[in-house]
Amino acid sequence: MRFLVRRLAAIVLVLWAAATLAFFAAHLLPGDPATQMLARAGASSQAIAERRAQIGWDRPLLEQYARFVWNLAHFDLGESWIVGRPVTRMLAEAAPPTLELALAAMLVATLVGVGLGTLAAYFRGTWLDALGMTVALLGISTPVAWSGLLALMVFSVALGWLPATGSDGVLYLILPATVLGLTSAGAIARLTRAGLLEVLTEPYITLARSKGLPGWLVLTRHVWPVALPPVLAVMALQFGFLLGGAAVTEAVFARQGLGRLAVEAVLSQDLPVVQGIVLLSAVVYSLVNLSADALHWLLDPRVRE
Amino acid sequence: MRHILHTTVCMLTLALLLTGCAPQPMTPQRLAYGLTLAPSGIDPHINASSELGIPLTSVYDTLVYQDPASGKFVPGLAQSWKISDDGKTYTFVLRHDVKFHDGTPFNAAAVKVNLDRIADPATQSQKAVFLLGPFDRAQVADEFTVVIHLKQPFAPLLDGLSQVYLGIASPAALTQWGKDYQLHQVGTGPFTFKEYVPKDHLTLVRNPDYKWGPSIWENRGPAYLDEITFRFYEDPATRALALESGQAQVMGEVPPQDVDRLTGSGKFTLVAVPIPGQPLQMFLNTQRAPTDDLRVRQALIYATDRAAIVKAIFREKSPVAFGPLTAVTVGYDLSVKSLYPFNPDKARQLLDEAGWRAGPDGIRQKDGKRLQLDGVLMGFGFVPETAQLVQAQWAAVGVDWKTQTVPYGTLLKAGSEGSVNVIPFFDSGSDPDILRKFFKSDAAFNYAKVSEPAIDAALDRAVTQTNPTDRAPLYADVQQRVMAQALIVPIRDYVNLNVASKSVTGLHYDARGWFPQLSSIKLQTSNIKWPV
Repeated sequence: MRFLVRRLAAIVLVLWAAATLAFFAAHLLPGDPATQMLARAGASSQAIAERRAQIGWDRPLLEQYARFVWNLAHFDLGESWIVGRPVTRMLAEAAPPTLELALAAMLVATLVGVGLGTLAAYFRGTWLDALGMTVALLGISTPVAWSGLLALMVFSVALGWLPATGSDGVLYLILPATVLGLTSAGAIARLTRAGLLEVLTEPYITLARSKGLPGWLVLTRHVWPVALPPVLAVMALQFGFLLGGAAVTEAVFARQGLGRLAVEAVLSQDLPVVQGIVLLSAVVYSLVNLSADALHWLLDPRVRE
Repeated sequence: MRHILHTTVCMLTLALLLTGCAPQPMTPQRLAYGLTLAPSGIDPHINASSELGIPLTSVYDTLVYQDPASGKFVPGLAQSWKISDDGKTYTFVLRHDVKFHDGTPFNAAAVKVNLDRIADPATQSQKAVFLLGPFDRAQVADEFTVVIHLKQPFAPLLDGLSQVYLGIASPAALTQWGKDYQLHQVGTGPFTFKEYVPKDHLTLVRNPDYKWGPSIWENRGPAYLDEITFRFYEDPATRALALESGQAQVMGEVPPQDVDRLTGSGKFTLVAVPIPGQPLQMFLNTQRAPTDDLRVRQALIYATDRAAIVKAIFREKSPVAFGPLTAVTVGYDLSVKSLYPFNPDKARQLLDEAGWRAGPDGIRQKDGKRLQLDGVLMGFGFVPETAQLVQAQWAAVGVDWKTQTVPYGTLLKAGSEGSVNVIPFFDSGSDPDILRKFFKSDAAFNYAKVSEPAIDAALDRAVTQTNPTDRAPLYADVQQRVMAQALIVPIRDYVNLNVASKSVTGLHYDARGWFPQLSSIKLQTSNIKWPV
């Protein structure tokens, strides 16, 4: 219980830090949002100055920061400067497709990662091990912008098996989730392999085998429960990468979501939206890490002692 | 047994005949249209993106329309109009037979509500309010007569009123939806707004009651298509793939390198639309050495092989540019075409005259200083690729150009501070008044840092002349002065490369070049693959 309270307090601290970073980073960018918003439409410098005052950009930085923190404490994220709609409503629309994509990608990453890692550990030193680890390395080092296009060309254009773009259901999720998930599968595979190798040499495994337990039972009963919990923490970290990677994936597959919202908000210096996304991501990321730790604690008696 | 077989064959034949004769059920005509950017917001009164206009130009009607062929304005929701002699009062007589999609009657009061909304500072309009210029107020003279009062004469007003940003929305819907109006837009156009999921898709359906299209449209009545879904393809590389996989039948801004492959397959046609406004041009800073020397600036234009750039990067899909306006812009001055032909020898000679002599590393020097320029680039619109070629061409005459690709905000800052020599830039707009944004001494985009009273005076005078024949010579004068001062290196006129499936016919674009006239589009239903 005390552990939980401490962790929750830490989350609040993380949120404050993330929000503060987002605030000052947005102000460090050269230029100002009012000019970006209006210059191209032919606005006079007076009209631009008026808009700057309207959004409060002309106030001293610390005053703006104080107002920002105050609103945040009241769960008021404000309205987008560009769109003119409440940020909370925009986030509520954009978050579900991104979470859906990130979760599906996590599933792919876990299945492929644990599978490859286990295979490589069992056949250590053979061509299977080498192949598995090469695939893992390829996954880590191939950018989605490229692998996504390749997947589209093969599976949508040439073979016509899957829809190319959009987000209208499970079929539309397969390609982007696989492409994105493979970028994280590599890290999980390597960790799984390392963890398994350590466990496989333990005497109790030899004992289990020598008393005649079938191989799959040894794996599921005796190897995975010991080797996998430490991988959980890495998976939580990977989830953060997947949330970030969603921006590129969403652009390639023309999906809606937080990633594209974030990119556009940063480019147009739409501060309220940027801050909303940073906060939401920090919340999700903190919660995922917290639940990974809790799960680790539940699954691994060694941690509880 | 044989009897039964016989009967069965007879019945089957009869059944086949019957189904053959039965009237075919009409399959709805649906089109998938690919847009390039997912706009942040799509309220035309508030937001400024061009993409929003592609669907919404068919949701709203405007008071007037501009004929893309002649540049003249023709009646729209206003059946006639009169401009007062002092150019400050515009009186519009409106059509009587128009209804909004929600049944609200269209009248002068509705126009006033729209103009008041745009002018209200609380609306935070990013474009529409500037199209209204020195707007003072709108006045309802009678049920179908509305008067717009301006503080000063403003010639581009009709151009603004013909754009979707000043389209007329249903006052009832504006009140009902407030901040969320952009998700529930209601106009009078040939298509009604069915659904918008931000960044995902936007769906329009046919307005069966439409009968007030302007005379310049091929189809002035209800649209041929039943439904159009727009999706957003931000990654240029996926646009061709979306066409090839059948997920979109029309796609805007297809990269030039993909166009020939698509049209070569025989399944697609190219609809290339030249965009009025400014070409891709490189502003030369007249206040920063060494581009403060006219001879250096002129040498840079002579040294730039624009035909080679158009060939290599734009695959000859867009024409070479010669001045500060594209060739299809109203008021384009033909005389700029003969200026500055590609001539590297002339460039070398001018640089020699300016005192820049060949240096040891191939780059010219003067008083021990290398002939080095700096510049910032935006990362899109083929600007980095173009800059790379220009660098090589300038190096051939002994000029070293160092560039840096930066975020848009950084570029705006460098431009307004005048902290670099060269900035490539482009902008679209159907009125030659666009020149005022770039070449007036106090303009927001005066990246050449020019301050010439003659240019200022001509631009200020031209914007108040409501008669086009009075404006033309003033803009011709400005274009010639810009080139005489070598304020820019023009590169290419912007051309919007739309690619459509062969089954799509009747795809035309408006005077802005960006906005299709959706109600004229027809679709042959054969071999259409509709995404499930």
